[in-house]
Amino acid sequence: MGLEVREITKKFGEKTAVDHLSFEMEGPGVFGLLGTNGAGKTTTIRNILGIMQPDEGEALWNGTPITRETLSFGYLPEERGIYMKTKVLEQLIYFGRLRGMKKEDAKKSALRLMERLQVMEYQNTPAEKLSKGNQQKIQLIAAIIHNPQLIFLDEPFSGLDPVNAQVLRNLVKELVAEGKYIILSTHQMETVEEYCENLVILDRGKTLLKGNLKEIKAGYGHTNLVVSAHEDVSNLAQAEGLELFEKRAAETEYKIQGDEMAHRFLRRMTEENIYPLKFEIREPSLQEIFVRKAGESK
Amino acid sequence: MKQILTVFSYTFKEGVRKKAFWISTLVIMVLLGVMCAIPRVMTLFDKGEESAETKTEYSGTCYMADETGVFEKEIPYLKAAYPGMNFKSIEQDEIKGLEKAVDESKSRNVAILSIQEKEAAPVLEITVSNFLSKVQVDTIADACNKIWQSHLLTEKGLEKGEVAVIQTPLIYTEKFIGNMNLTEYIVGLLLTFVMFFAVYYYGYGVAMSISSEKTSRVMETLIISAKPSKILIGKCLAMGTVGLLQLGGLMAFAGFCYKFILPEGFQIAGVDLAVSGFTPKTLIFLIIYFILGYALYAVMNSVCGAAVSKIEDLNSAMMPVSILVIIGFYLGYFTSVMGGGSGALSKLAVYLPISSPFAVPFKLITGEINMQELGISILLLVLAIVIVTTFSVRIYSASVMHYGNRLKWKELKKIKTN
Repeated sequence: MGLEVREITKKFGEKTAVDHLSFEMEGPGVFGLLGTNGAGKTTTIRNILGIMQPDEGEALWNGTPITRETLSFGYLPEERGIYMKTKVLEQLIYFGRLRGMKKEDAKKSALRLMERLQVMEYQNTPAEKLSKGNQQKIQLIAAIIHNPQLIFLDEPFSGLDPVNAQVLRNLVKELVAEGKYIILSTHQMETVEEYCENLVILDRGKTLLKGNLKEIKAGYGHTNLVVSAHEDVSNLAQAEGLELFEKRAAETEYKIQGDEMAHRFLRRMTEENIYPLKFEIREPSLQEIFVRKAGESK
Repeated sequence: MKQILTVFSYTFKEGVRKKAFWISTLVIMVLLGVMCAIPRVMTLFDKGEESAETKTEYSGTCYMADETGVFEKEIPYLKAAYPGMNFKSIEQDEIKGLEKAVDESKSRNVAILSIQEKEAAPVLEITVSNFLSKVQVDTIADACNKIWQSHLLTEKGLEKGEVAVIQTPLIYTEKFIGNMNLTEYIVGLLLTFVMFFAVYYYGYGVAMSISSEKTSRVMETLIISAKPSKILIGKCLAMGTVGLLQLGGLMAFAGFCYKFILPEGFQIAGVDLAVSGFTPKTLIFLIIYFILGYALYAVMNSVCGAAVSKIEDLNSAMMPVSILVIIGFYLGYFTSVMGGGSGALSKLAVYLPISSPFAVPFKLITGEINMQELGISILLLVLAIVIVTTFSVRIYSASVMHYGNRLKWKELKKIKTN
């Protein structure tokens, strides 16, 4: 039960925007829909929601095809769009009423969410006078004002400052706690690593990777070592055959071939009386996996 | 239905709250008021001018310098032929001085008639202040003509009585089959223009509203809540109601101006301004034609609005519909107002849905259309709206979420809609 996407395919002329995409979301939580710009994420969402009709395949909710009439869903589009000249509360009530809510209920829900997202003082302000981040919050409220079960968030964090991004993160967590199904579409891999248990990665319409995030990462094993120390350990690392991956301000990341290689390096450091502040053996990041997979597919 | 009403209610409120709505309404009201006030002000000045003119010796006088001596003798006849005019005999050398006096006094009630003999026939020169002169030059010339004919005939031996019989004009009466008069013609003409303006302007409003929702991406939020067809219908209904409200307000104000600002007995070219054509029945049909005409073009315009990805492309996207409106308007105008074309062309303009909203209002005011023709015309218009709406909803649904290059017909056919 839950959301099931079966073999969705969408073509625009000769170009295949989404190619036989399938995935399932069996329980509440956040599902990651990843990919670079133009990978087909937004087209996938539009096809699932029925804004566009797929050329092949279908999207089901509890076994029934998804339509506006059969499922209460919410959608925060990637391109922000609200009425700029209209007062915030007024347009939120309009969007709520379009979703079948009574005026009083829509107002109540809008005010509750505005308070939650800290934009209460703008209820009688035209949207054009709000900052981009606050406009984004208003659009998010428009997407969830009717308390939908299934929510699609297309690049929800883009353009938000760290404080507002944290407010939004907390809201997403609350929604998950309330039992909502959230599809998070983004090209920011770190965001997905923070939220998503399951994901699908798209590349030019094709499914590059799909499954449980932990399992995917575990499949690659421990490939990275992050070291931070007062002393320079680069010569030691080179001597032990560690491949430099990335040098950052406070730490250095190396590529390793198994845990044994890392342990050997640690022993060597202690023999040299170098005691690291940080010594972390870890799986590859989603970003690395994506880049590797995308490279393989070419 | 609930969603259509929700879209309707929101769009209507937005429409009447716009500054453009109030500014255009006020500007037209001011223009109407000024246009009606001008004749009243002119009446005041006219009264003043006439009373001043009565004091001057040049008022209502025709000074006549006659070299032939034929006309001087017939001053009583001239006075009888032109009762408002006093005829006085002068010498040719007085003319220059009189012309100067008339020019300085700006009197519009004075004429100087100089009659000189050339090749055994009199040559008349009638001098008046300017083209606004109130002197009826034709009446003076006509009377002089008759005097000269009478002179020639009596010279040939005819008796005065016989000459009078010859010169007696034939009695005739002018009879019109229709009941249209000049002012009804003018009112009908104005209505044709108002209908064209209203259909085009409010239809453009629909296209603009839809294209701004699409280009600002609000459409993406709307479309997941309501079917495109419901959005389209709700919008068209709301903009039409805004238009009807504005037109109704302006018509009511025009009625107020007619009643309270225009001077009583106001005439256009000597004919009383008649609004007798505005019967309740006519008004109802005028409203019906506005609603139907607007609906036909608004639905087409909504497709144009949905077809563009950038607001600046709207005018070029609207070109085909604009051409259709103009063809419809000119067909209606040519056959109704100008009275041109054959009977078949006139009928075509009444029945053709693209032209009937512009052809019928004039005919309604002037009483040139019967109930049977009205019924057929409305039926065809409604049929056209149903067909155009069916196709437009399909195209609108397909194109409203399409961004990038403008959609071609071939692509539209391929797009599946929901």
